[in-house]
Amino acid sequence: MKINCVFVERILCGFIREELAKAGFSRGILGLSGGIDSAVCAALAARALGPENVLGLILPYRDTFPQDIADAQDLARLLGIRTRMINIAPMVDAYFAAEPANERNLMGNKMARERMSILYDQSARDKALILGTSNKTELLIGYGTIHGDTACAVNPLGDLYKTQVRRMAAHLGIPAAIQSKVPTAGLWPGQTDEGEIGISYEELDAILFELVDRRLRAEDVIGLGHSREKVEGIMRLIRGSEFKRRMPPIAKLSARTIGLDFLYPYDWDK
Amino acid sequence: MRIALAQIAPSLGNVPANFDLHLQEIDRARRAQADLVIFPELSLTGYLLKDLVETVALEPDKDRYFREFKSLSREIGLVLGFVEEKERGLFFNSAALLAGGEILSIHRKVFLPTYGMFEEGKFFAVGRNFRVVPTPWGKAGLMICREFLSHGAHYLLLAQGAELVLAVSAAPGRGLSEAEDFATGRMWEVMAEAMSYFSGSFIAYCNRAGYEDGIAFGGGSFIFNPLGQRLVKAKPAERDFIVQDIDPREIRRARAAMPFLRDDRPEIILHALQRVVESHED
Repeated sequence: MKINCVFVERILCGFIREELAKAGFSRGILGLSGGIDSAVCAALAARALGPENVLGLILPYRDTFPQDIADAQDLARLLGIRTRMINIAPMVDAYFAAEPANERNLMGNKMARERMSILYDQSARDKALILGTSNKTELLIGYGTIHGDTACAVNPLGDLYKTQVRRMAAHLGIPAAIQSKVPTAGLWPGQTDEGEIGISYEELDAILFELVDRRLRAEDVIGLGHSREKVEGIMRLIRGSEFKRRMPPIAKLSARTIGLDFLYPYDWDK
Repeated sequence: MRIALAQIAPSLGNVPANFDLHLQEIDRARRAQADLVIFPELSLTGYLLKDLVETVALEPDKDRYFREFKSLSREIGLVLGFVEEKERGLFFNSAALLAGGEILSIHRKVFLPTYGMFEEGKFFAVGRNFRVVPTPWGKAGLMICREFLSHGAHYLLLAQGAELVLAVSAAPGRGLSEAEDFATGRMWEVMAEAMSYFSGSFIAYCNRAGYEDGIAFGGGSFIFNPLGQRLVKAKPAERDFIVQDIDPREIRRARAAMPFLRDDRPEIILHALQRVVESHED
């Protein structure tokens, strides 16, 4: 789980710079939530592309989390990146006025997709590519909204566990207010990742590292001292969220089907 | 003898652009008065080709780029990687060695990694041989990437008395630690140290840099002398260009002091292997 932050920074900045350049872009755009993942991604992008080439979108719902807005703005000032604030309340409220719902998951997912929709629109206006901010922990357990916060053009953080993102945040000089914040998806007041998932990020990452990176079997991970309930629960989350990590299956009919036997690199012709 | 290692980042699927990049690096190597310049695996095409393989395949005997390379090789030796259409519809991951206006050797990759992130076996035909050929600098054998990690491949070059092992590679960086390099970086050097020492030969390994589909290639190209000492190493995971003088007399010194090659018994190995293969039960 140990990383060399200088090396990771160099690889990820190179990735951002070269992937964007290959696609013909010099600018990147991302949503700034005031949390640690988007802060780390923004800092890497500012170093890779130059701060003037990074646009951070601050997309609050009403004024539910004023501290997050302030933290996002402070971060943008510190990094010297451009920002734009768009409140998603008018769009979201209009929809739920017509289609009432009182399940907070429905509300939360709608908000995540509203932000995605604005990010894509603004990326076209700014001629920028969207930088993803989902980390390896949340991608593996499916703690994200499909076609919402997981949507992006390239993702520099998707192979770093949450605890590794924290180390990168310290290395990159992310403000203490953001580093020490309790992680939350920000979908409703009082929501915290660890409360919802039911395990601390330290233990979750330790278990995922053994299961995924070191390919240990569940029994062996339990043998390391983790509870059966947690290990099996995490395996259920991984299995149940594969659909969020893949393109949907296409019903195969022809001799050459996209994704099965029509196989080209993502960087095709770039 | 002076060797240049061109740790480039080819464009994926864009042969004309990569040809121009080769010309630039060849020019650079000539200005550095190198006798030989080595490019990475699939240097003319990029690595993650998938279904693009057939669209970038070349036939060296008829190809206009190779005509140019042959002509350039009158001034400087070349090792480069490309997709070869050896027979109609059969595509190989190949490496060519050129000198004195001729193609001295073409090696077709035998070990095609096909697991995890690697899919070469889906797209390439399998090569069948490891050859050592005479060159202006001594007897040389080619290897491609994964083959470098095979004892057997090294043994076949050793048994033919290779003095110069020339390896081309497109090795992705994988695994993090506290080191300022990918964890896989060390694997290549462990093999090179052992194999150069126990064969008394020079080993030059040229890896690539750049990114394809999120993969960062590990760079870290190097040259080892016949005493198992690393003479030079390029930067990990970024473009680089290094030049190194080697002294072929070290082969003689190493083999006189440690007669590993002299004491090798390929005929016994062959018979023993024959028995292993014949007694194999499925």
